[in-house]
Amino acid sequence: MSSKFDAVVVGGGIIGISCAYYLTLEGKKVLLLEKGEIGEGASTSCDDMILLQSKRPGILLTLAMESLEMYKKLAQELPVDIEFESRGGMVLIESQSQLSLMEEFVRQQKALGLEVDLLDQGEVRKRCPMVSPHILASTYSPLDSQVNPMMVMRGMLREATARGLKVMRFSPVVDMELVAPYHWKVTTERGEIYETSFVINAAGAWAASLGKLVGIELPIKPKRGQIAVTEAMPRLGKTNFWSADYIVMKLNPDFAKEREPVLNELGIGLSMSQASSANYFLGGTREFVGFDKGVTRTALKLILKEATRFFPVLRKVNIIRTFSGFRPASGDGKPFIGPVPSKPGLYIAAGHEGDGIALAPITGYAISSMILGKKLPYDLTELSPARLTV
Amino acid sequence: MDEVFVCRCEEVTQEELQKAIADGAVTMNELKRWTRAGMGLCQGKGCSRLVMNILAKSTGQSPADVKPAHYRNPVRPMPINSMIKEEE
Repeated sequence: MSSKFDAVVVGGGIIGISCAYYLTLEGKKVLLLEKGEIGEGASTSCDDMILLQSKRPGILLTLAMESLEMYKKLAQELPVDIEFESRGGMVLIESQSQLSLMEEFVRQQKALGLEVDLLDQGEVRKRCPMVSPHILASTYSPLDSQVNPMMVMRGMLREATARGLKVMRFSPVVDMELVAPYHWKVTTERGEIYETSFVINAAGAWAASLGKLVGIELPIKPKRGQIAVTEAMPRLGKTNFWSADYIVMKLNPDFAKEREPVLNELGIGLSMSQASSANYFLGGTREFVGFDKGVTRTALKLILKEATRFFPVLRKVNIIRTFSGFRPASGDGKPFIGPVPSKPGLYIAAGHEGDGIALAPITGYAISSMILGKKLPYDLTELSPARLTV
Repeated sequence: MDEVFVCRCEEVTQEELQKAIADGAVTMNELKRWTRAGMGLCQGKGCSRLVMNILAKSTGQSPADVKPAHYRNPVRPMPINSMIKEEE
């Protein structure tokens, strides 16, 4: 078996798989190295949302909109049902002060071309009769969508392996050596050595330790997100839901004072989406606790309390599963997508935090295009690893 | 042949499990995630041994060598009401 490849992608989550997929479609000989099982990091410990409304106008919103269009195509092209749906989303607003801020936010998003509107109390009630009567208003975008990340990975892997992608599971990378520009040697714990022109660090929350192997300090840290899953149940409304309190706090930190301190400590902001299997994902937390993959009673209780505050009817519903996952947090809220200037051939595609599912197709496509020297229709300078000053 | 349902909660058939294995699933977690077998109301209490046997047979392992999928809290379905109750 040959051990020479055009590109070695390190990380078998949705980002790494997407990079491997688009590179393989371009005829590149690609190896995907995964330290454990496929998607065992954040890509299978998350919900299913492609959320546009939470994004500040800027490069991330532009890319999310682009990625959404790519998912529509993937839903047609991939050989499995990726359960893509555009159910739309509502951000539930509880107070007049939240409403004023959200009005301005919605105005900015509209200016950038996002289809989003505000609904008054009557309209909110009409669309979801189960919502708590204290909800004052809501935003609505028909574009917010969802997809099953596990099926995206399955479909991309099936398609790419049929075209020659090689996948190695349980193969942690222990050494990476830049022999010469665009000539790398990658060694796994199993003692296998692979030679390649390009290496893509798509190791998610583990990207920093991989960076260390080549002397690069990546500021990516694991941010734990806890989620509870309900039994399959009837739909609470046509769309998925978020609470405005967390979003307004991101826009104006003064709003933090309006919330219980413990909610802020655990970074709790309510999100509710119903999978195509009819289970609701109730999330979530944003905690820096290293690689502690547990769930905590305190956090789950708070998430569920929030959920019942918005939808009292949930009190009677059963929770069947809880889990947590590590969102790769980059520090400045933006992923690293692009080449590392000081290490010819090394690319980074990591640090997507809570946007990994939404941005997976565009990230894979962007990395593949950069490697092939194709021009992209948008400027990704803001996301370049060059901002690390390595 | 009639369809054989392996996971009754999520109505996953033997054929669907075989297809996921053909797509490259090599562990119980991968098989679960790609088919939903064991993700329903009983969380795999009913079907996990059957699924393990199918995976073992198809991948040439001994069933004893197949690692079970992760188990997640709660052990049984639990009403949200009881999970948010204040402790005395």
